[in-house]
Amino acid sequence: MDFEFLVNKARHKVSLEKKGKHFVLRHKDGSFEADFQVISANSLSLLVDGRSYLIYIARDKDKKYIYLDGELYIVHKPGDKERCIDREEDRSQKEKSLITAPMPGKVIKINVAEKEAVRKNQTLAIVEAMKMENEIKSPVEGYVKKIFVSAGDMVDSEKPLIEIEPE
Amino acid sequence: MFKKILIANRGEIAVRVIKACQELDIASVAVYSEVDRASLHVQMADEAVCIGPPPATESYLNMDRIIQVAQAAGAEAIHPGYGFLAENPEFARLCEKERIVFIGPNSRALELVGDKIRARRTIEKAGIPIIPGMKRLPEEISEFEEEARKIGYPVMIKASAGGGGKGMRIVCSEDELRPSLEAGMREAKAAFGDESVYLEKYIEEPRHVEFQVLADNYGHIVHLFERECSIQRRHQKIVEETPSQALDPSLRQRMGDTAKKVLDVSGYNNAGTVEFLLDKNKNFYFLEVNARLQVEHPVTELATGVDLVHQQIRIASGEKLSLKQEDVKQRGHAIECRIYAEDPAHNFLPSSGKILYLKEPKGPGVRHDCGVYSGWAVPIYYDPILAKLVVWAETRELACQRMKSALDDYIILGINTTIGFLKDVISHPQFSEGATTTGFIKNYFDSWKEKEGSDERLKIALAAAAFYEFSRDQLAEPSTVQAKEVISPWQTLGKWKIGGKG
Repeated sequence: MDFEFLVNKARHKVSLEKKGKHFVLRHKDGSFEADFQVISANSLSLLVDGRSYLIYIARDKDKKYIYLDGELYIVHKPGDKERCIDREEDRSQKEKSLITAPMPGKVIKINVAEKEAVRKNQTLAIVEAMKMENEIKSPVEGYVKKIFVSAGDMVDSEKPLIEIEPE
Repeated sequence: MFKKILIANRGEIAVRVIKACQELDIASVAVYSEVDRASLHVQMADEAVCIGPPPATESYLNMDRIIQVAQAAGAEAIHPGYGFLAENPEFARLCEKERIVFIGPNSRALELVGDKIRARRTIEKAGIPIIPGMKRLPEEISEFEEEARKIGYPVMIKASAGGGGKGMRIVCSEDELRPSLEAGMREAKAAFGDESVYLEKYIEEPRHVEFQVLADNYGHIVHLFERECSIQRRHQKIVEETPSQALDPSLRQRMGDTAKKVLDVSGYNNAGTVEFLLDKNKNFYFLEVNARLQVEHPVTELATGVDLVHQQIRIASGEKLSLKQEDVKQRGHAIECRIYAEDPAHNFLPSSGKILYLKEPKGPGVRHDCGVYSGWAVPIYYDPILAKLVVWAETRELACQRMKSALDDYIILGINTTIGFLKDVISHPQFSEGATTTGFIKNYFDSWKEKEGSDERLKIALAAAAFYEFSRDQLAEPSTVQAKEVISPWQTLGKWKIGGKG
């Protein structure tokens, strides 16, 4: 069975095949044999060449959190990547000009007005989450094209706050 | 002794107080906001009452509602934990008026030490050294400018009503003063309902050393030695330890005596902490009194063997403090790491959301004060503290070693936490040497990133991901996983008991 995963923005193709009681995993040019043992719904034991690995795993939609020897790997499904590639150029432009909150929270203050010129790193708005104020800064020089929210609004990390038209 | 106590807090500290109540055979009443119905403290308490919508101002800070709940439930006392109403003299007064015991200092002492400016005046009069700063609250922003010039930049803005770094700002020049004041005042208003701020001289390269003190209602005061809390981000502690590497026995005794004197001149009772800044030349300055049980109280408990929450409850119920100064001894070394829902690689941005999996560290000398569990969603409304990992060992070196392995054994999947960051802090050579100042994080961890794993481990992780996809039927779907695998400290305790048969 073939799989494609995204880890840290790098794409990995792997294949997993059953061979007797073991599995053979191919990745890039190499392959190795592994013995898997499910320990619980969130943990998995792997034996590779007699070395024992204990892996903790949890899934959230298309994201898998895999924890191994003190290190965390966030493994995405390939689907996201395809979409990213198609829109990559479009997206990077959009990302620059559409300002979103870095985390869910409450808009405390909007520091700019529509049509106002802004410098790079100028504070555009203040969003509070978990009792900490976070300043939202402009990634580019330009002017404020549109403000989507007002003080007091609750926002998630996806919703755009402000659109900046770059110079 | 009380028969029933209401706990006016949430998260790990509410859980901590409920456990103390259980140990003292006192019934506990939890209060919770609408978003906290599934919280651990609600599950653990004997009774639980919803007190309002998620914003703290409408729930955990709603004094009248909390008093009402206490009266209806027949609670004789209220433990405020830390934060929220813990240092609010109006609430303490309200409790006194309604004949409910506030488990903390009396309202007059609370008012005095809580008003940082009045406190400084009282303390200075008693001959205790303080940091140069404002002696009264100004009425206009222009007065701040004049004062700042008089004190000399850099100056520090501090919230009059609070602690925990809320409202705090360092200001290096006059043009930064006004925006920093505005932000500080807003933050103070949001956190404490009071926007008063003041200025003081910012001391560079200081250590933060505080003394835990207990005072009963009859004037008997003992200190339980120091905690060093220099490792801070955003002026908020993340690693605390005792004993401090900076104190020798004579300095320790002088500071301990000073701490007791501070509480004495303030007419203080119950548990309190006297905070000092210690400069490069071992001069110490009184900072403030934290008139509450502190987040970092467990390190004192592990090093002295005194249960501070038990003591708080006993003192509040009118018992005499049975501890004598000469009986209190420091033994071994204790370290605490605060586990926050934050992203240390991105300026400690808070991280809310569902905890998909949580594995608690355990072992000899390891204590985990935890307010969360697998499957619980961290709300956006409150302080992002999840838990505290505390270790004790015979020496500092062994305690560091123990903390490292406990952090390695600690897994939280689904949200960002400070666990990986704390591992690197504890392993840092400057930390190992005990060379800790409040600038430690800024100096050595300003652009910290999680280490990238080796190629070999990546392969193993990919194999696990592939296997997970391959055999979804063997590994249950996450929805059923959570129902089955909700690991709370209680279940962990249960497992320990079962394991004991061998």
